Amino acid sequence: MLNLESIVAGYGDAVALSDVSLEIAAGELVAVVGANGAGKTTLVNVIARLLPIRSGRLTWEGVDLGRLPPQALGDLGIALIPEGRRLFGAMSVEENLDMGCYRRSARAARDEGLERVYRMFPILRERRSQMAGTLSGGQQQMVAIGRALMARPRLLLIDEPSLGLAPSVVQQVFEVIRAVHAEGVSMLLIEQNVALALEVADRGYVLEGGSIVAAAAAADLLERPDIRAAYLGGA
Amino acid sequence: MPSSTLLAQSVLSGVFSGALYALMGLGISLAWGLLRIINLAHFAFVFLAGYLVYQCISVSGWSPTLVVVLALPLFFLLGVALQWLFARFSVDEFASLLVTFGLTIVIESLIQWIWTADVRRMETPLSTWSVKLGPLYVPVVEAILLLVTLAVVVAAWAWLRHTYVGKALRASAQNPVIAAAFGVSHRRLAFVLSGVAAATGALAGVFVAVGSPISPSQMFGSLGVVLAAVILGGLGNPLGLLAASILIGIAEALTMALTAPSWAPLVSFSLLIFILVLRPDRV
Ligand SMILES: Nc1ncnc2c1ncn2[C@@H]1O[C@H](COP(=O)(O)OP(=O)(O)OP(=O)(O)O)[C@@H](O)[C@H]1O
Ligand SMILES: [Mg+2]
Repeated sequence: MLNLESIVAGYGDAVALSDVSLEIAAGELVAVVGANGAGKTTLVNVIARLLPIRSGRLTWEGVDLGRLPPQALGDLGIALIPEGRRLFGAMSVEENLDMGCYRRSARAARDEGLERVYRMFPILRERRSQMAGTLSGGQQQMVAIGRALMARPRLLLIDEPSLGLAPSVVQQVFEVIRAVHAEGVSMLLIEQNVALALEVADRGYVLEGGSIVAAAAAADLLERPDIRAAYLGGA
Repeated sequence: MPSSTLLAQSVLSGVFSGALYALMGLGISLAWGLLRIINLAHFAFVFLAGYLVYQCISVSGWSPTLVVVLALPLFFLLGVALQWLFARFSVDEFASLLVTFGLTIVIESLIQWIWTADVRRMETPLSTWSVKLGPLYVPVVEAILLLVTLAVVVAAWAWLRHTYVGKALRASAQNPVIAAAFGVSHRRLAFVLSGVAAATGALAGVFVAVGSPISPSQMFGSLGVVLAAVILGGLGNPLGLLAASILIGIAEALTMALTAPSWAPLVSFSLLIFILVLRPDRV
């Protein structure tokens, strides 16, 4: 469904992704793990069309995304939960969620979508009129997830959802990820918490210095001694 | 000490001049807050509209309704064209200040060339008509101005607050990249906003022409006080702008009544300096 073939991308003269190939089948949850600066966010931004592709091919459901602007992705069923939430801080919780269904085709399902998000994260219903910038980190992450879900995506790009969150909130966030995955939504999950990511994922890739160095079923990656040594504290 | 009737009459006239400041400043506030464009040429648009209205109604004898109905879409298109130029040459906030200042000078010269620097007075049956409200005189034109300003300001507020286009404009002003990821085409919305801003300027121009004598030099006279109201009210915030404008209008009118007319400009500029020192984050 999503296909990356030999993607090269970067910033100025620097190459941040070299020759990256990756695929996500329909309904699959794929985790990409790697150290800081490995190129994980770059990978997400390339797929979300926020960063140009230097070479290689990027397709989704047979459509070449290579030259499309970011605005086109919503209508193709792709939504983004960006690193660091990136909410519209001076807008209310509900207005942030509204931006998720900004596209004409998504507006009809707005009320239904709001109800779904508020059921997942009841605290957001209480805070619906509060400025998003004044929420706690965990609540902001909930809004970022809700905003993406309002777009009714078939592919969800999630960049570091657990970053800086308390363990109880991380658990809540991952329950939602699991539940949405169970509904058949495909996902690309970037995560620092490698154990947690590989636990929910179907398959995993390991990114190092802008290249894929390992790709396997998530359970197999979890068992590999080299992966355990590098990302799971050697245990 | 002036009588209480006189003071009340000055407060009332302060409210009316505040309404005109708000109507003149709305387009600047919207473009500055949501597009990060400081459009000084907005003042030139207001006066250009004022002169066109004067020309069509007083000289050519067209119906005032027809003139307003034609002026709004015309200036909408002018605003779209201006935004097209800003986008075409990737004009940023600081450059916009310089470019639009230049444009203002050009339009001012154009107005001087066509209509000369003399004061023009537009005679309509409305301009001398006032009604008596208790001890106070209420000029009908000014009362209409106040109502139109209230309607336009509330409409602008509701547009930004309650429509998808308005929310998208605000989202894009805060984070253009993420807004784009959710389908917002800032480029397209910027055209709409710039058009709307210019159309509100045309409406202000109508009242500049109808309410009082008009001359090209007034263009720069109103610049300081309107910018003060725009900044005090909060960029891109129509209701704040209205409150700030009326506050400044009343402060000016009271200053004039209690001291001398020449002190009035001091009010807005001291306020402006006061804000810039205490709340530089508002700009
Ligand atoms: N805007 C940018 N301009 C220049 N270089 C950048 C930019 N963003 C990232 N880089 C560089 O590209 C490389 C990959 O960065 P990227 O953000 O994709 O890493 P990451 O794997 O997401 O890291 P983290 O775990 O810290 O989020 C790094 O070397 C980084 O310094
Ligand atoms: Mg990252």
